[in-house]
Amino acid sequence: MRDGPASARVLVVDDGSLIRLYYREALEAAGFEVAEAINGIEALEKVLTDRFDLLIVDINMPKMDGVSFLRTLRARDGEAGAIPALVISSEAGEQDARDARAAGANYYLVKPVAAADLTLHVAVLTGTPSGGALA
Amino acid sequence: MASVNPTEPLVASDIRITDPEFRRFCDFFYRRTGIVFGDTQRVYVDRRLADCIVAAGSRGFAEHFARLLVEPREMERLISLFTVNETYFYREEYQLRCLTSTLLDGIVARKRIGQPVRLWSMPCSTGEEPYSIAIWLLENWAEVDRWDIEIIGSDIDTKVLEAAEAGEYSERALMRLPRPLVDKYFTRIGDKRYRIDEGLRGSVQFSRVNVIDQAEMARWRGIDVVFCRNMLIYFDEVSRRTAAGNLYDSLAPGGYICLGHTESMSRISPLFEVRRFPDAIVYQKPEEGGHA
Ligand SMILES: C[S@@+](CC[C@H](N)C(=O)[O-])C[C@H]1O[C@@H](n2cnc3c(N)ncnc32)[C@H](O)[C@@H]1O
Repeated sequence: MRDGPASARVLVVDDGSLIRLYYREALEAAGFEVAEAINGIEALEKVLTDRFDLLIVDINMPKMDGVSFLRTLRARDGEAGAIPALVISSEAGEQDARDARAAGANYYLVKPVAAADLTLHVAVLTGTPSGGALA
Repeated sequence: MASVNPTEPLVASDIRITDPEFRRFCDFFYRRTGIVFGDTQRVYVDRRLADCIVAAGSRGFAEHFARLLVEPREMERLISLFTVNETYFYREEYQLRCLTSTLLDGIVARKRIGQPVRLWSMPCSTGEEPYSIAIWLLENWAEVDRWDIEIIGSDIDTKVLEAAEAGEYSERALMRLPRPLVDKYFTRIGDKRYRIDEGLRGSVQFSRVNVIDQAEMARWRGIDVVFCRNMLIYFDEVSRRTAAGNLYDSLAPGGYICLGHTESMSRISPLFEVRRFPDAIVYQKPEEGGHA
């Protein structure tokens, strides 16, 4: 048993190291636990070997982009295939958002995303309105 | 060196540098680095040179000088001993403010999403400057997650680059960084020693570059902002102009150079336009189709 309630675990998938750091700092300050992956391939490895409550996914990434990652993930049965995903992309076009939705994104935000907005959306999507603690 | 017994280990005080040797050395060092030493620095130069000769196990100036020409490791040691690497976090912070208040707006306006923003700390010494840029952006730039930001740190001195990559700092290096930022981005690893956050470490790429070497500099193109602070003060006019020309070629059209507060490009090179912004004076490479 851990002391206190467990924190919701978030996997940040983005090829920008400063971006991952920015999201991680914001989410950790709000009480979430954060892991990172630099592209879709690394993210797949992590979701298959570890447990996450939410994925934050960028679209434009080398090796495997966000849309291919989500498609591959959603094609899987079981828990991993059903983890909620918040796509955060620099692409502001409607078609980009539709493509992400079709691939399995639960929600779509356009960068830049302020730290307060990020933690709010993550709290709602993980069902932990008061910070990262899971009820 | 005839008075030195060749079988006994040399100590630095045994070594005498003659006037012609001093001049030969200064000339050689200048041509390799752009850094000038005058007669007023004679004592400083002689002492370091003697240390270098002893550390390398050479038998005197002539032998060591010959080795410098063929042994890159000895040249590196020499450069490390003779460069001034003084630096600290958030040094001349007003330029970082200028970056986020003014420069970046214009830079990203010319970019498509996905094109990197390239910031170059040249010279970076032990890394405080490029890491400061990263921290400043994380703390002060609302668009930090929207752009692919590349931060590069370069220096001629391989020893400082190793330190930069290790990312460990004393309290002194952190004295100007607000305490909450120290707590946020560093871990205490011992008595007055701190290690920088892994993510920050990974966000800066370090490389050895000699700013006056045109062939080496040709590998660096499309830079949006160069921080070139507190290096040109060690150069003479000729090497300053060479450095300015090389940096000009490395910049993207419309890119900027930020110099140290005692340095001024107007006296060095007419290639750049002086831009007086509220937070700082910086120098801009003219836009394509613009005029100097
Ligand atoms: C005083 S430090 C400045 C560090 C930092 N920019 C700052 O302002 O705090 C000067 C650095 O310039 C480097 N340097 C000297 N000559 C150089 C050259 N030709 N090419 C690249 N770096 C050089 C030295 O190794 C040293 O680390």
